[in-house]
Amino acid sequence: MASNPAQFELSILLIDDNQARAESIQSALDNSRYCIKHITSPKFGLLKLVDEFQPDMIVIDIESPSRDMLESLHTISAFNPKPVVMFSEKEDTETINLSVKSGVSAYVAGDTDPARVRAILDAAVARFDAFQQLRQELDDTKQALEARKVIDQAKRLLMEQSGMSEQDAYKRMRKMAMDAGQKLEEVAKTLIAVMQNMKLG
Amino acid sequence: MSSPDLNIGYMPLNDAAPLIIAKELGFFEKAGLDVQLRKQNSWATLRDKLHVGLLDAAHMLAPMPIASSLGLGCQPTAVIAPLIMSQNGNAITLSNNLVDDIVAENGLSEISFPLSAKLLAPIIESRKSSGKSKLQLAHVFPYSCHYYQLLDWLKQGGIQMEDVDIHVITPADMVDAMLNNDIDGFCVGSPWNAKAVRAGVGITVTTSFDIWGNAPEKVLGILKSRFDETPELFERIISAIKETCQWLSILPNRFEAALILSKTAYLDTPLEVVAPSLLGSCLTKPNTAPRELPLYNVFGALDVNSMENSIVEDFILLQKHMLSAKQIHNEVPKAHLLEILNANA
Repeated sequence: MASNPAQFELSILLIDDNQARAESIQSALDNSRYCIKHITSPKFGLLKLVDEFQPDMIVIDIESPSRDMLESLHTISAFNPKPVVMFSEKEDTETINLSVKSGVSAYVAGDTDPARVRAILDAAVARFDAFQQLRQELDDTKQALEARKVIDQAKRLLMEQSGMSEQDAYKRMRKMAMDAGQKLEEVAKTLIAVMQNMKLG
Repeated sequence: MSSPDLNIGYMPLNDAAPLIIAKELGFFEKAGLDVQLRKQNSWATLRDKLHVGLLDAAHMLAPMPIASSLGLGCQPTAVIAPLIMSQNGNAITLSNNLVDDIVAENGLSEISFPLSAKLLAPIIESRKSSGKSKLQLAHVFPYSCHYYQLLDWLKQGGIQMEDVDIHVITPADMVDAMLNNDIDGFCVGSPWNAKAVRAGVGITVTTSFDIWGNAPEKVLGILKSRFDETPELFERIISAIKETCQWLSILPNRFEAALILSKTAYLDTPLEVVAPSLLGSCLTKPNTAPRELPLYNVFGALDVNSMENSIVEDFILLQKHMLSAKQIHNEVPKAHLLEILNANA
Protein backbone atom coordinates (compact mmCIF):
# COMPACT_ATOMS: atom_id res chain seq x y z
CA MET A 1 0.00 0.00 0.00
CA ALA A 2 0.98 3.65 -0.30
CA SER A 3 4.19 4.63 1.35
CA ASN A 4 3.56 8.22 0.48
CA PRO A 5 -0.02 8.75 1.63
CA ALA A 6 -0.78 11.58 -0.78
CA GLN A 7 -0.12 9.57 -3.93
CA PHE A 8 -2.77 6.91 -4.35
CA GLU A 9 -6.51 6.90 -4.32
CA LEU A 10 -7.86 4.57 -1.67
CA SER A 11 -11.24 2.92 -1.87
CA ILE A 12 -13.27 2.64 1.29
CA LEU A 13 -16.23 0.42 2.01
CA LEU A 14 -18.40 2.26 4.54
CA ILE A 15 -20.91 0.10 6.43
CA ASP A 16 -23.24 2.33 8.37
CA ASP A 17 -26.99 2.22 9.01
CA ASN A 18 -27.03 5.90 9.89
CA GLN A 19 -27.75 7.52 6.53
CA ALA A 20 -27.11 11.09 7.70
CA ARG A 21 -23.75 10.23 9.17
CA ALA A 22 -22.75 8.28 6.07
CA GLU A 23 -23.62 11.27 3.89
CA SER A 24 -21.66 13.65 6.05
CA ILE A 25 -18.63 11.36 5.95
CA GLN A 26 -18.96 11.06 2.20
CA SER A 27 -19.11 14.80 1.69
CA ALA A 28 -16.29 15.25 4.19
CA LEU A 29 -14.12 13.11 1.97
CA ASP A 30 -15.06 14.72 -1.35
CA ASN A 31 -11.97 15.90 -3.19
CA SER A 32 -9.71 13.75 -1.08
CA ARG A 33 -7.82 10.62 -2.02
CA TYR A 34 -10.55 8.49 -0.46
CA CYS A 35 -13.26 7.10 -2.68
CA ILE A 36 -16.23 5.85 -0.67
CA LYS A 37 -18.81 3.19 -1.35
CA HIS A 38 -21.55 3.29 1.28
CA ILE A 39 -23.82 0.37 2.18
CA THR A 40 -26.12 -0.31 5.11
CA SER A 41 -25.44 -3.44 7.19
CA PRO A 42 -26.00 -6.30 4.77
CA LYS A 43 -27.70 -9.41 6.18
CA PHE A 44 -25.76 -11.60 3.81
CA GLY A 45 -23.05 -11.58 1.19
CA LEU A 46 -20.65 -9.09 2.74
CA LEU A 47 -17.61 -11.19 1.89
CA LYS A 48 -18.68 -11.42 -1.75
CA LEU A 49 -19.08 -7.67 -1.81
CA VAL A 50 -15.64 -7.19 -0.29
CA ASP A 51 -14.24 -9.59 -2.85
CA GLU A 52 -15.85 -7.72 -5.75
CA PHE A 53 -15.14 -4.23 -4.54
CA GLN A 54 -11.66 -4.96 -3.10
CA PRO A 55 -11.66 -1.95 -0.79
CA ASP A 56 -8.37 -0.73 0.64
CA MET A 57 -10.09 -0.06 3.93
CA ILE A 58 -13.36 -0.90 5.65
CA VAL A 59 -15.10 1.61 7.89
CA ILE A 60 -17.91 0.14 9.98
CA ASP A 61 -20.20 1.30 12.75
CA ILE A 62 -19.18 -0.61 15.85
CA GLU A 63 -22.87 -1.39 16.48
CA SER A 64 -23.45 -2.92 13.05
CA PRO A 65 -24.72 -6.53 13.14
CA SER A 66 -22.49 -7.17 10.10
CA ARG A 67 -19.39 -7.16 12.28
CA ASP A 68 -19.46 -10.93 12.80
CA MET A 69 -19.64 -11.46 9.05
CA LEU A 70 -16.63 -9.19 8.69
CA GLU A 71 -14.91 -11.11 11.48
CA SER A 72 -14.94 -14.27 9.38
CA LEU A 73 -12.90 -12.33 6.81
CA HIS A 74 -9.85 -12.68 9.07
CA THR A 75 -10.15 -16.45 8.97
CA ILE A 76 -10.15 -16.62 5.17
CA SER A 77 -6.63 -16.22 3.88
CA ALA A 78 -7.81 -15.46 0.34
CA PHE A 79 -8.89 -12.02 1.54
CA ASN A 80 -5.94 -9.76 2.11
CA PRO A 81 -5.90 -8.22 5.53
CA LYS A 82 -7.53 -4.81 5.48
CA PRO A 83 -7.52 -2.03 8.00
CA VAL A 84 -10.87 -1.72 9.73
CA VAL A 85 -11.96 1.57 11.24
CA MET A 86 -14.87 1.73 13.65
CA PHE A 87 -17.38 4.47 14.12
CA SER A 88 -19.21 5.03 17.34
CA GLU A 89 -21.91 7.47 18.41
CA LYS A 90 -20.24 8.19 21.69
CA GLU A 91 -17.35 10.51 22.28
CA ASP A 92 -15.16 8.61 24.67
CA THR A 93 -11.45 9.25 24.55
CA GLU A 94 -10.60 6.38 26.82
CA THR A 95 -12.40 3.92 24.56
CA ILE A 96 -10.65 5.36 21.55
CA ASN A 97 -7.22 4.85 23.03
CA LEU A 98 -7.99 1.38 24.29
CA SER A 99 -9.43 0.25 20.98
CA VAL A 100 -6.44 1.47 19.08
CA LYS A 101 -4.23 -0.49 21.43
CA SER A 102 -6.36 -3.60 21.07
CA GLY A 103 -5.79 -3.83 17.34
CA VAL A 104 -8.65 -1.92 15.78
CA SER A 105 -6.85 0.35 13.36
CA ALA A 106 -8.68 3.46 14.43
CA TYR A 107 -11.73 4.52 16.28
CA VAL A 108 -13.71 7.54 15.16
CA ALA A 109 -16.08 8.85 17.76
CA GLY A 110 -18.79 11.47 17.58
CA ASP A 111 -18.37 14.25 15.05
CA THR A 112 -17.46 13.85 11.42
CA ASP A 113 -15.53 17.04 10.91
CA PRO A 114 -13.95 16.62 7.45
CA ALA A 115 -10.41 17.50 8.42
CA ARG A 116 -10.56 15.19 11.41
CA VAL A 117 -12.06 12.21 9.57
CA ARG A 118 -9.44 12.48 6.85
CA ALA A 119 -6.63 12.71 9.40
CA ILE A 120 -7.93 9.65 11.23
CA LEU A 121 -8.16 7.61 8.04
CA ASP A 122 -4.63 8.67 7.05
CA ALA A 123 -3.36 7.65 10.46
CA ALA A 124 -5.20 4.31 10.28
CA VAL A 125 -3.67 3.47 6.91
CA ALA A 126 -0.20 4.42 8.11
CA ARG A 127 -0.52 2.42 11.30
CA PHE A 128 -1.93 -0.57 9.47
CA ASP A 129 0.94 -0.53 6.98
CA ALA A 130 3.45 -0.33 9.81
CA PHE A 131 1.74 -3.18 11.61
CA GLN A 132 1.67 -5.36 8.50
CA GLN A 133 5.34 -4.69 7.90
CA LEU A 134 6.17 -5.61 11.46
CA ARG A 135 4.19 -8.80 11.16
CA GLN A 136 5.91 -9.66 7.90
CA GLU A 137 9.30 -9.13 9.54
CA LEU A 138 8.28 -11.31 12.45
CA ASP A 139 7.12 -14.06 10.08
CA ASP A 140 10.37 -13.84 8.14
CA THR A 141 12.44 -14.06 11.31
CA LYS A 142 10.44 -17.04 12.52
CA GLN A 143 10.92 -18.79 9.22
CA ALA A 144 14.65 -18.09 9.17
CA LEU A 145 14.96 -19.54 12.67
CA GLU A 146 12.99 -22.60 11.65
CA ALA A 147 15.23 -23.10 8.59
CA ARG A 148 18.35 -22.75 10.76
CA LYS A 149 17.06 -25.49 13.07
CA VAL A 150 16.35 -27.91 10.21
CA ILE A 151 19.74 -27.28 8.60
CA ASP A 152 21.53 -27.84 11.92
CA GLN A 153 19.67 -31.08 12.51
CA ALA A 154 20.51 -32.41 9.04
CA LYS A 155 24.12 -31.43 9.55
CA ARG A 156 24.28 -33.28 12.87
CA LEU A 157 22.73 -36.41 11.34
CA LEU A 158 25.24 -36.34 8.49
CA MET A 159 28.10 -35.96 10.95
CA GLU A 160 26.82 -38.86 13.08
CA GLN A 161 26.07 -41.24 10.25
CA SER A 162 28.91 -40.49 7.84
CA GLY A 163 31.52 -39.40 10.32
CA MET A 164 31.99 -36.10 8.50
CA SER A 165 33.31 -32.94 10.06
CA GLU A 166 30.84 -30.12 10.54
CA GLN A 167 32.38 -28.16 7.70
CA ASP A 168 32.26 -31.11 5.29
CA ALA A 169 28.67 -31.88 6.17
CA TYR A 170 27.73 -28.29 5.45
CA LYS A 171 29.67 -28.26 2.17
CA ARG A 172 28.03 -31.51 1.10
CA MET A 173 24.56 -30.10 1.74
CA ARG A 174 25.35 -26.88 -0.05
CA LYS A 175 26.56 -28.79 -3.09
CA MET A 176 23.43 -30.95 -3.10
CA ALA A 177 21.31 -27.81 -2.95
CA MET A 178 23.17 -26.20 -5.81
CA ASP A 179 23.00 -29.34 -7.96
CA ALA A 180 19.28 -29.78 -7.34
CA GLY A 181 18.51 -26.05 -7.63
CA GLN A 182 16.82 -26.24 -4.23
CA LYS A 183 17.00 -24.19 -1.08
CA LEU A 184 19.37 -25.45 1.58
CA GLU A 185 16.40 -25.84 3.92
CA GLU A 186 14.58 -28.15 1.48
CA VAL A 187 17.66 -30.33 1.01
CA ALA A 188 18.03 -30.52 4.79
CA LYS A 189 14.41 -31.66 5.15
CA THR A 190 14.86 -34.38 2.53
CA LEU A 191 18.10 -35.54 4.17
CA ILE A 192 16.45 -35.74 7.58
CA ALA A 193 13.57 -37.80 6.19
CA VAL A 194 15.92 -40.18 4.36
CA MET A 195 18.31 -40.62 7.26
CA GLN A 196 15.52 -41.19 9.74
CA ASN A 197 14.13 -43.88 7.45
CA MET A 198 17.55 -45.51 7.29
CA LYS A 199 17.71 -45.50 11.08
CA LEU A 200 14.34 -47.23 11.29
CA GLY A 201 15.27 -49.75 8.62
CA MET B 1 -22.34 -4.57 50.05
CA SER B 2 -22.88 -1.84 47.44
CA SER B 3 -21.13 -2.13 44.12
CA PRO B 4 -20.04 0.24 41.39
CA ASP B 5 -22.17 0.33 38.24
CA LEU B 6 -21.54 -2.94 36.46
CA ASN B 7 -22.11 -3.44 32.75
CA ILE B 8 -22.78 -6.95 31.54
CA GLY B 9 -23.12 -7.62 27.81
CA TYR B 10 -25.30 -10.23 26.16
CA MET B 11 -26.62 -11.28 22.79
CA PRO B 12 -30.40 -11.71 22.33
CA LEU B 13 -30.71 -15.48 22.82
CA ASN B 14 -32.60 -17.77 25.20
CA ASP B 15 -29.40 -18.71 26.96
CA ALA B 16 -28.90 -15.12 28.10
CA ALA B 17 -31.66 -16.06 30.58
CA PRO B 18 -29.35 -16.39 33.63
CA LEU B 19 -28.34 -12.73 33.21
CA ILE B 20 -31.74 -11.34 32.23
CA ILE B 21 -33.60 -13.19 35.00
CA ALA B 22 -30.95 -12.26 37.59
CA LYS B 23 -31.58 -8.64 36.69
CA GLU B 24 -35.38 -8.79 36.38
CA LEU B 25 -36.09 -10.94 39.43
CA GLY B 26 -33.63 -9.16 41.67
CA PHE B 27 -30.91 -11.80 42.16
CA PHE B 28 -28.25 -9.21 41.34
CA GLU B 29 -29.89 -6.60 43.54
CA LYS B 30 -30.15 -9.02 46.46
CA ALA B 31 -26.39 -9.51 46.21
CA GLY B 32 -25.91 -5.74 46.40
CA LEU B 33 -24.97 -5.52 42.74
CA ASP B 34 -25.95 -2.62 40.53
CA VAL B 35 -25.98 -4.30 37.11
CA GLN B 36 -26.90 -2.79 33.76
CA LEU B 37 -27.44 -5.31 30.97
CA ARG B 38 -26.15 -4.20 27.57
CA LYS B 39 -27.67 -5.87 24.52
CA GLN B 40 -25.16 -6.28 21.66
CA ASN B 41 -25.61 -6.69 17.91
CA SER B 42 -22.57 -8.85 17.25
CA TRP B 43 -20.26 -11.24 19.05
CA ALA B 44 -17.23 -9.35 17.72
CA THR B 45 -18.33 -6.07 19.28
CA LEU B 46 -19.30 -7.79 22.53
CA ARG B 47 -15.79 -9.25 22.66
CA ASP B 48 -14.06 -5.96 21.82
CA LYS B 49 -16.05 -4.08 24.45
CA LEU B 50 -15.11 -6.70 27.04
CA HIS B 51 -11.46 -6.51 26.01
CA VAL B 52 -11.30 -2.74 26.42
CA GLY B 53 -13.25 -2.74 29.67
CA LEU B 54 -16.50 -1.16 28.46
CA LEU B 55 -18.18 -4.33 29.68
CA ASP B 56 -17.31 -5.83 33.06
CA ALA B 57 -18.51 -9.28 32.06
CA ALA B 58 -20.30 -10.89 29.13
CA HIS B 59 -22.41 -13.78 27.91
CA MET B 60 -19.90 -15.52 25.64
CA LEU B 61 -19.71 -18.47 23.30
CA ALA B 62 -17.66 -21.15 25.08
CA PRO B 63 -14.76 -21.08 22.55
CA MET B 64 -14.46 -17.27 22.69
CA PRO B 65 -12.27 -17.01 25.82
CA ILE B 66 -9.89 -19.54 24.23
CA ALA B 67 -9.83 -17.49 21.01
CA SER B 68 -9.29 -14.26 22.99
CA SER B 69 -6.38 -15.66 24.95
CA LEU B 70 -4.76 -17.00 21.77
CA GLY B 71 -5.37 -13.77 19.88
CA LEU B 72 -7.52 -15.37 17.18
CA GLY B 73 -9.20 -12.49 15.32
CA CYS B 74 -8.09 -10.04 17.99
CA GLN B 75 -5.14 -8.97 20.08
CA PRO B 76 -4.24 -11.73 22.58
CA THR B 77 -6.23 -10.82 25.69
CA ALA B 78 -6.61 -12.92 28.83
CA VAL B 79 -10.33 -13.60 29.28
CA ILE B 80 -11.46 -16.11 31.86
CA ALA B 81 -14.63 -18.19 31.97
CA PRO B 82 -15.12 -19.02 35.63
CA LEU B 83 -18.73 -20.09 35.04
CA ILE B 84 -20.46 -22.23 32.40
CA MET B 85 -23.91 -20.65 32.29
CA SER B 86 -25.62 -23.00 29.87
CA GLN B 87 -25.41 -26.18 27.88
CA ASN B 88 -26.92 -27.13 24.52
CA GLY B 89 -29.64 -24.97 22.92
CA ASN B 90 -28.47 -24.90 19.28
CA ALA B 91 -30.14 -26.59 16.34
CA ILE B 92 -29.88 -26.94 12.59
CA THR B 93 -32.74 -25.67 10.47
CA LEU B 94 -33.00 -26.27 6.72
CA SER B 95 -35.12 -24.30 4.29
CA ASN B 96 -38.44 -25.78 3.13
CA ASN B 97 -37.09 -26.06 -0.41
CA LEU B 98 -34.04 -28.02 0.69
CA VAL B 99 -36.17 -30.37 2.79
CA ASP B 100 -38.49 -30.91 -0.21
CA ASP B 101 -35.43 -31.83 -2.26
CA ILE B 102 -34.19 -34.18 0.47
CA VAL B 103 -37.52 -36.01 0.52
CA ALA B 104 -37.71 -36.22 -3.28
CA GLU B 105 -34.10 -37.12 -4.07
CA ASN B 106 -33.88 -39.79 -1.37
CA GLY B 107 -37.29 -41.27 -2.24
CA LEU B 108 -38.59 -40.75 1.30
CA SER B 109 -42.28 -40.80 2.16
CA GLU B 110 -41.69 -38.39 5.02
CA ILE B 111 -38.89 -36.82 6.97
CA SER B 112 -37.83 -38.08 10.39
CA PHE B 113 -35.84 -36.42 13.15
CA PRO B 114 -32.99 -36.13 13.92
CA LEU B 115 -32.07 -36.02 10.26
CA SER B 116 -28.71 -37.33 9.06
CA ALA B 117 -26.61 -35.10 6.80
CA LYS B 118 -26.10 -38.22 4.67
CA LEU B 119 -29.41 -37.34 3.01
CA LEU B 120 -27.80 -34.18 1.61
CA ALA B 121 -25.45 -36.26 -0.55
CA PRO B 122 -27.75 -36.75 -3.58
CA ILE B 123 -28.64 -33.04 -3.56
CA ILE B 124 -25.00 -32.02 -3.43
CA GLU B 125 -24.29 -34.45 -6.29
CA SER B 126 -27.11 -33.26 -8.52
CA ARG B 127 -26.26 -29.61 -7.87
CA LYS B 128 -22.68 -30.33 -8.81
CA SER B 129 -23.54 -32.18 -12.02
CA SER B 130 -26.07 -29.57 -13.15
CA GLY B 131 -23.59 -26.76 -12.46
CA LYS B 132 -25.73 -25.16 -9.76
CA SER B 133 -24.19 -23.33 -6.80
CA LYS B 134 -23.22 -25.25 -3.67
CA LEU B 135 -25.52 -25.47 -0.67
CA GLN B 136 -25.24 -22.27 1.38
CA LEU B 137 -25.05 -22.89 5.12
CA ALA B 138 -24.53 -20.44 7.97
CA HIS B 139 -23.46 -20.30 11.59
CA VAL B 140 -22.91 -17.43 14.00
CA PHE B 141 -19.21 -16.83 14.66
CA PRO B 142 -15.88 -18.35 13.64
CA TYR B 143 -15.20 -19.44 17.23
CA SER B 144 -18.56 -20.95 18.14
CA CYS B 145 -19.86 -24.41 19.03
CA HIS B 146 -22.40 -23.80 16.26
CA TYR B 147 -19.64 -23.93 13.66
CA TYR B 148 -18.08 -27.10 15.08
CA GLN B 149 -21.52 -28.73 15.44
CA LEU B 150 -22.36 -27.92 11.84
CA LEU B 151 -19.02 -29.38 10.72
CA ASP B 152 -19.55 -32.50 12.85
CA TRP B 153 -23.08 -33.02 11.55
CA LEU B 154 -21.80 -32.84 7.97
CA LYS B 155 -18.87 -35.11 8.77
CA GLN B 156 -21.10 -37.69 10.47
CA GLY B 157 -23.10 -37.80 7.24
CA GLY B 158 -19.97 -38.18 5.13
CA ILE B 159 -20.30 -34.71 3.60
CA GLN B 160 -17.05 -32.92 2.82
CA MET B 161 -16.65 -29.35 4.00
CA GLU B 162 -15.66 -28.34 0.46
CA ASP B 163 -19.04 -29.48 -0.85
CA VAL B 164 -20.87 -26.62 0.86
CA ASP B 165 -20.33 -22.88 1.33
CA ILE B 166 -20.28 -21.80 4.96
CA HIS B 167 -21.14 -18.24 6.05
CA VAL B 168 -21.31 -16.23 9.26
CA ILE B 169 -24.53 -14.35 10.08
CA THR B 170 -25.55 -12.77 13.38
CA PRO B 171 -28.18 -14.96 15.15
CA ALA B 172 -31.10 -12.53 14.97
CA ASP B 173 -30.64 -12.10 11.17
CA MET B 174 -30.58 -15.83 10.40
CA VAL B 175 -34.29 -16.29 9.63
CA ASP B 176 -34.36 -13.24 7.34
CA ALA B 177 -31.40 -14.59 5.39
CA MET B 178 -33.27 -17.87 4.87
CA LEU B 179 -36.49 -16.06 3.98
CA ASN B 180 -34.49 -14.13 1.40
CA ASN B 181 -33.20 -17.41 -0.10
CA ASP B 182 -29.63 -16.40 0.71
CA ILE B 183 -29.05 -19.56 2.73
CA ASP B 184 -30.33 -23.15 2.61
CA GLY B 185 -29.62 -23.98 6.23
CA PHE B 186 -28.16 -22.70 9.47
CA CYS B 187 -26.99 -23.69 12.92
CA VAL B 188 -28.15 -21.16 15.50
CA GLY B 189 -29.16 -20.95 19.16
CA SER B 190 -32.69 -20.72 20.57
CA PRO B 191 -35.07 -19.12 19.89
CA TRP B 192 -34.10 -18.48 16.27
CA ASN B 193 -34.80 -22.03 15.06
CA ALA B 194 -38.29 -21.83 16.53
CA LYS B 195 -38.75 -18.48 14.81
CA ALA B 196 -38.00 -20.09 11.43
CA VAL B 197 -40.49 -22.88 12.07
CA ARG B 198 -43.25 -20.52 13.30
CA ALA B 199 -42.68 -18.30 10.27
CA GLY B 200 -42.99 -21.33 7.98
CA VAL B 201 -39.54 -20.60 6.55
CA GLY B 202 -37.63 -23.71 7.58
CA ILE B 203 -37.67 -27.07 9.32
CA THR B 204 -35.51 -27.85 12.34
CA VAL B 205 -33.93 -31.19 11.49
CA THR B 206 -31.52 -31.81 14.36
CA THR B 207 -30.22 -30.18 17.54
CA SER B 208 -26.80 -29.70 19.08
CA PHE B 209 -27.87 -32.21 21.74
CA ASP B 210 -28.43 -34.83 19.00
CA ILE B 211 -24.97 -34.08 17.56
CA TRP B 212 -22.86 -33.70 20.71
CA GLY B 213 -24.96 -34.69 23.72
CA ASN B 214 -24.51 -32.34 26.67
CA ALA B 215 -21.89 -29.70 25.96
CA PRO B 216 -21.01 -26.29 27.36
CA GLU B 217 -22.54 -23.51 25.30
CA LYS B 218 -22.34 -20.08 26.96
CA VAL B 219 -19.90 -18.97 29.60
CA LEU B 220 -19.56 -15.86 31.70
CA GLY B 221 -16.51 -14.13 30.23
CA ILE B 222 -14.48 -11.73 32.37
CA LEU B 223 -11.27 -9.88 31.63
CA LYS B 224 -8.66 -11.64 33.76
CA SER B 225 -7.01 -8.38 34.79
CA ARG B 226 -10.40 -7.05 35.96
CA PHE B 227 -11.18 -10.22 37.87
CA ASP B 228 -7.83 -10.14 39.63
CA GLU B 229 -8.39 -6.53 40.74
CA THR B 230 -11.66 -7.25 42.53
CA PRO B 231 -12.16 -11.02 42.80
CA GLU B 232 -14.64 -10.61 45.63
CA LEU B 233 -16.93 -8.47 43.48
CA PHE B 234 -16.88 -11.00 40.64
CA GLU B 235 -17.49 -13.88 43.05
CA ARG B 236 -20.67 -12.07 44.10
CA ILE B 237 -21.75 -11.75 40.45
CA ILE B 238 -21.01 -15.42 39.88
CA SER B 239 -22.97 -16.59 42.91
CA ALA B 240 -25.97 -14.42 41.95
CA ILE B 241 -25.95 -16.02 38.48
CA LYS B 242 -25.61 -19.48 40.01
CA GLU B 243 -28.64 -18.82 42.18
CA THR B 244 -30.55 -17.69 39.08
CA CYS B 245 -29.56 -20.86 37.25
CA GLN B 246 -30.96 -22.87 40.11
CA TRP B 247 -34.22 -20.96 39.81
CA LEU B 248 -34.18 -21.62 36.06
CA SER B 249 -33.67 -25.34 36.57
CA ILE B 250 -37.21 -25.59 37.98
CA LEU B 251 -39.49 -26.28 35.03
CA PRO B 252 -42.56 -24.33 36.23
CA ASN B 253 -40.33 -21.22 36.35
CA ARG B 254 -39.41 -21.57 32.71
CA PHE B 255 -42.65 -20.10 31.38
CA GLU B 256 -42.11 -16.98 33.50
CA ALA B 257 -38.56 -16.80 32.18
CA ALA B 258 -39.86 -17.00 28.60
CA LEU B 259 -42.32 -14.20 29.29
CA ILE B 260 -39.52 -11.94 30.54
CA LEU B 261 -37.10 -12.84 27.73
CA SER B 262 -39.70 -12.07 25.07
CA LYS B 263 -39.96 -8.41 26.18
CA THR B 264 -38.88 -5.63 23.80
CA ALA B 265 -35.90 -4.71 25.96
CA TYR B 266 -34.50 -8.23 25.66
CA LEU B 267 -35.27 -10.62 22.78
CA ASP B 268 -38.16 -8.55 21.40
CA THR B 269 -39.70 -11.77 20.09
CA PRO B 270 -43.16 -13.33 20.60
CA LEU B 271 -43.65 -15.73 23.49
CA GLU B 272 -44.64 -18.59 21.17
CA VAL B 273 -41.16 -18.37 19.65
CA VAL B 274 -39.17 -17.95 22.88
CA ALA B 275 -40.99 -20.47 25.10
CA PRO B 276 -40.70 -23.89 23.40
CA SER B 277 -36.99 -24.68 23.84
CA LEU B 278 -37.12 -23.38 27.43
CA LEU B 279 -39.90 -25.89 28.10
CA GLY B 280 -37.93 -28.77 26.53
CA SER B 281 -39.85 -28.72 23.28
CA CYS B 282 -38.15 -28.69 19.90
CA LEU B 283 -40.42 -27.37 17.16
CA THR B 284 -39.65 -29.17 13.92
CA LYS B 285 -42.19 -28.07 11.32
CA PRO B 286 -45.61 -26.43 11.31
CA ASN B 287 -48.62 -28.55 12.24
CA THR B 288 -46.46 -31.34 13.64
CA ALA B 289 -46.07 -32.37 17.27
CA PRO B 290 -42.77 -30.98 18.60
CA ARG B 291 -39.95 -33.28 19.64
CA GLU B 292 -39.66 -33.74 23.37
CA LEU B 293 -36.16 -32.61 24.32
CA PRO B 294 -35.92 -31.99 28.08
CA LEU B 295 -32.25 -30.97 27.83
CA TYR B 296 -32.74 -28.49 24.98
CA ASN B 297 -31.83 -25.47 27.17
CA VAL B 298 -29.86 -26.45 30.26
CA PHE B 299 -28.81 -23.75 32.72
CA GLY B 300 -26.19 -25.56 34.66
CA ALA B 301 -24.10 -22.94 36.42
CA LEU B 302 -21.21 -25.34 36.33
CA ASP B 303 -17.96 -24.13 37.69
CA VAL B 304 -14.69 -25.84 37.27
CA ASN B 305 -13.93 -26.14 40.95
CA SER B 306 -17.07 -28.09 41.73
CA MET B 307 -17.01 -30.38 38.69
CA GLU B 308 -13.47 -30.00 37.58
CA ASN B 309 -12.89 -33.06 35.48
CA SER B 310 -15.89 -33.01 33.21
CA ILE B 311 -15.56 -29.30 32.40
CA VAL B 312 -11.87 -29.56 31.71
CA GLU B 313 -12.58 -32.56 29.48
CA ASP B 314 -15.24 -30.50 27.69
CA PHE B 315 -12.75 -27.71 27.07
CA ILE B 316 -10.10 -30.14 25.87
CA LEU B 317 -12.71 -31.36 23.39
CA LEU B 318 -13.49 -27.79 22.36
CA GLN B 319 -9.90 -27.04 21.49
CA LYS B 320 -9.82 -30.32 19.54
CA HIS B 321 -12.69 -28.97 17.46
CA MET B 322 -10.70 -25.77 16.91
CA LEU B 323 -7.79 -27.94 15.78
CA SER B 324 -9.84 -29.97 13.33
CA ALA B 325 -11.42 -26.78 11.96
CA LYS B 326 -7.77 -25.69 11.38
CA GLN B 327 -8.27 -22.55 13.47
CA ILE B 328 -5.31 -23.51 15.62
CA HIS B 329 -2.34 -25.68 14.74
CA ASN B 330 -1.15 -26.84 18.15
CA GLU B 331 -3.02 -28.29 21.10
CA VAL B 332 -3.86 -25.76 23.80
CA PRO B 333 -2.07 -27.07 26.91
CA LYS B 334 -4.33 -28.28 29.70
CA ALA B 335 -2.71 -25.81 32.10
CA HIS B 336 -3.75 -22.97 29.81
CA LEU B 337 -7.34 -24.26 29.70
CA LEU B 338 -7.38 -24.52 33.49
CA GLU B 339 -6.26 -20.92 33.66
CA ILE B 340 -9.09 -19.86 31.34
CA LEU B 341 -11.54 -21.76 33.53
CA ASN B 342 -10.05 -20.05 36.58
CA ALA B 343 -9.51 -23.41 38.25
CA ASN B 344 -8.10 -23.42 41.77
CA ALA B 345 -4.51 -24.54 41.75
